[in-house]
Amino acid sequence: MADLDQFRAQAQEWCAAHVPAGWRQAQTGASPEQFTEFQQAWFAELRSAGYAVPHWPAEWGGGLSTAEQVVLYQELAAHDAPRLVLAFVAIHHAAATLLAAGTPDQRRRHLPAILDGEIWCQGFSEPEAGSDLASLRTTARRSGDRYLVSGQKLWSTWAMAADWCLLLARTDTQAPKRRGISYFLLDMRTPGIELRPIRQATGEWHFCEMFLDEVEIPASSLVGAENEGWQVAQTTLSAERGMTMLELAERLGNAGMTRLIATSRQAAGGRLTPPGLITDQLAAFETEITGLRAMCRSVVDSHDIGRGSLVDASVVKLCYSELLQRMTDFGTGLAGLPAHSEMQKPLSGSYESGTWLLDFIGSWEWTIPGGSSEIQRSIIGERGLGLPREPAATS
Amino acid sequence: VRDERAEAREELRTVARTLLAKSGPRPDWQLLAGPGWPGLEIAPELGGSGATFAEVAVIATELGRAAAVSPFLGTVVLGAGLLAAISPQSSRDEMLSDISAGRSRVAVAMATGDEAVTGDVAPFRVQRADGRLTVHGTASFVPDVIAADHLLLLARQESGEPVTVRIGATELRAQPQPLVDETRRVGVVDANGMQVADEAAWPFAGDPEVAVAALASRAALAVACDSLGIAEAMLEATVSYVGKRYQFGRPIGSFQAVKHACADMLVQVTMARELVSEAADAVAADSFAAAAAVSMAKSYACAAAVSVAGKAIQLHGGIGYTWEAGLHVYLKRAALNRSLFGSPSAHRQRLAYRYG
Repeated sequence: MADLDQFRAQAQEWCAAHVPAGWRQAQTGASPEQFTEFQQAWFAELRSAGYAVPHWPAEWGGGLSTAEQVVLYQELAAHDAPRLVLAFVAIHHAAATLLAAGTPDQRRRHLPAILDGEIWCQGFSEPEAGSDLASLRTTARRSGDRYLVSGQKLWSTWAMAADWCLLLARTDTQAPKRRGISYFLLDMRTPGIELRPIRQATGEWHFCEMFLDEVEIPASSLVGAENEGWQVAQTTLSAERGMTMLELAERLGNAGMTRLIATSRQAAGGRLTPPGLITDQLAAFETEITGLRAMCRSVVDSHDIGRGSLVDASVVKLCYSELLQRMTDFGTGLAGLPAHSEMQKPLSGSYESGTWLLDFIGSWEWTIPGGSSEIQRSIIGERGLGLPREPAATS
Repeated sequence: VRDERAEAREELRTVARTLLAKSGPRPDWQLLAGPGWPGLEIAPELGGSGATFAEVAVIATELGRAAAVSPFLGTVVLGAGLLAAISPQSSRDEMLSDISAGRSRVAVAMATGDEAVTGDVAPFRVQRADGRLTVHGTASFVPDVIAADHLLLLARQESGEPVTVRIGATELRAQPQPLVDETRRVGVVDANGMQVADEAAWPFAGDPEVAVAALASRAALAVACDSLGIAEAMLEATVSYVGKRYQFGRPIGSFQAVKHACADMLVQVTMARELVSEAADAVAADSFAAAAAVSMAKSYACAAAVSVAGKAIQLHGGIGYTWEAGLHVYLKRAALNRSLFGSPSAHRQRLAYRYG
């Protein structure tokens, strides 16, 4: 315990000295170049302190204990630090995939490169494969020591900035849908890739459509065995939960709650006493955030002792996303008309920036991707409570 | 050490669940005294097991899960809790020994509604006139007061300082109050200026205001535990029913509308469990943050239990609405719990003072 207190003191001291003052203002209305540059600088800063990839094994540059990671994310949240938005897929999904299923060569090639700033995106979803991801149609044909990939991917976050892509493609069109999928590492400089940014509801451009036309991938970039990519993808998807959810919940509880209280105080004419409807709702939010933070710590602890479950992750994701939506909705109402003329929110931050209307609209970015709330409820019902599955569609 | 304690608590939970399943919803108090529940927190030299509130919370949750009729709230949560805060002396120790042994039931007359959170926890006044000590004031919805052997009144002296007034059950008869919830027993205590001996006014060992506030916290959290147990039981019953009940040729639990409602119930139960567990740890550790943690647990868990029990009736359909099915018992208890020792909005009001 004393060691952990010492680690907290270190992390506090580091945050106080290194979180750039005024980064929110600087990142509001920032150009894509300014955003990328800032993200890379912050990544390098965290890396030099050993805080960029604390969840990685020590031999690859990580090695903080679970308890230390929790403390680190609590302190980063408490100091309202920028988030690693651009490196997110690289340090979480790509690393988890490589560590779980990558070859030694693949790990040596990519893990150090990620630490040097290699950016990754995800090529999973397709126009006809959203919630039903396993029905994806992009195909990879084996030809000698390479594969030729053709098809269309959708919702690849930050794909225009990415160096590499985690790609799912069908290698056996005859097999049942989950059994014919393979997992690839795709170099984004390969000829035949066309990217088209998609403008999202907030007006920003964080996603891409990706068109693949006979794109060559060397067979050495296959992860896991051919046709066993679905299992590999499950690892990748579960990497999104646990500690990353803990970080977001901590941010919701720290800066998020602080900003909501500030907006409430302003809406109430400068003071929140005596208590009324507004403070009642604030206290309800604080209560749910407190429960969510405790839930995240339980999930992380249970993963640590090998008892983590997909259902816990679904409960956490569902709670976070819907709480975020309700909080940002409430903030939008309190902020009133002025919220409607705030045209830009800071990049590089969390999802409750205090630009309430844009935060609220952006909250669907949490209730839809990564398994929509409806999918999460079905997972919880079927795998968590053992309820009977839907009768299968005849296809 | 933490893991060992957590394991011991899980064992206690299993034993309690088995015992209550065997005994039915009206367990004999002597039966519960066997495994030492009345004396859980009482010191070993007074016949107790020297455990903490975290263990009391386990039993409170299981009693809620069984919707059991039991004087646990009055005697253990309130009675033993209050006595522990009083300066040690022979008659106090005797009372604690009697509680440990299951020989004695105690009730505490204190504020039981929103005043327990936002007002004065001590509803009685002690006055001295012509050398005689008299007690004034009333308290209603006092848990387990009718069958109690001893009554402890939370009163303020003329100085304003809280004190506990001990009264034998035969000296002051409490009036039973009707309750829609048939699983709890409450009554009104009217002191009506009764005269008491000087020795009946027991001072607190530490800061009396802190002790009184801590007692209100224990009460609220124990009720939150009870509600958590109710919500757990209602979720389990519902999951079991919708997996077996067929309509349109399928188990109704395979329909998304039903399945997703069950998923929401699980989310609420999970959230309630985390908040209750955090608060129980804080109260057991006597943490400065305990009051806020209790208010969060109480406001969330008690509202969640009403919502989950209500959803349980809905998903059971017509049969769920019958007296015989018994789901109404849980809904009524959950609704009473929500008002007992501070409504959700009263607790949130207390939280809100921190926002300034």
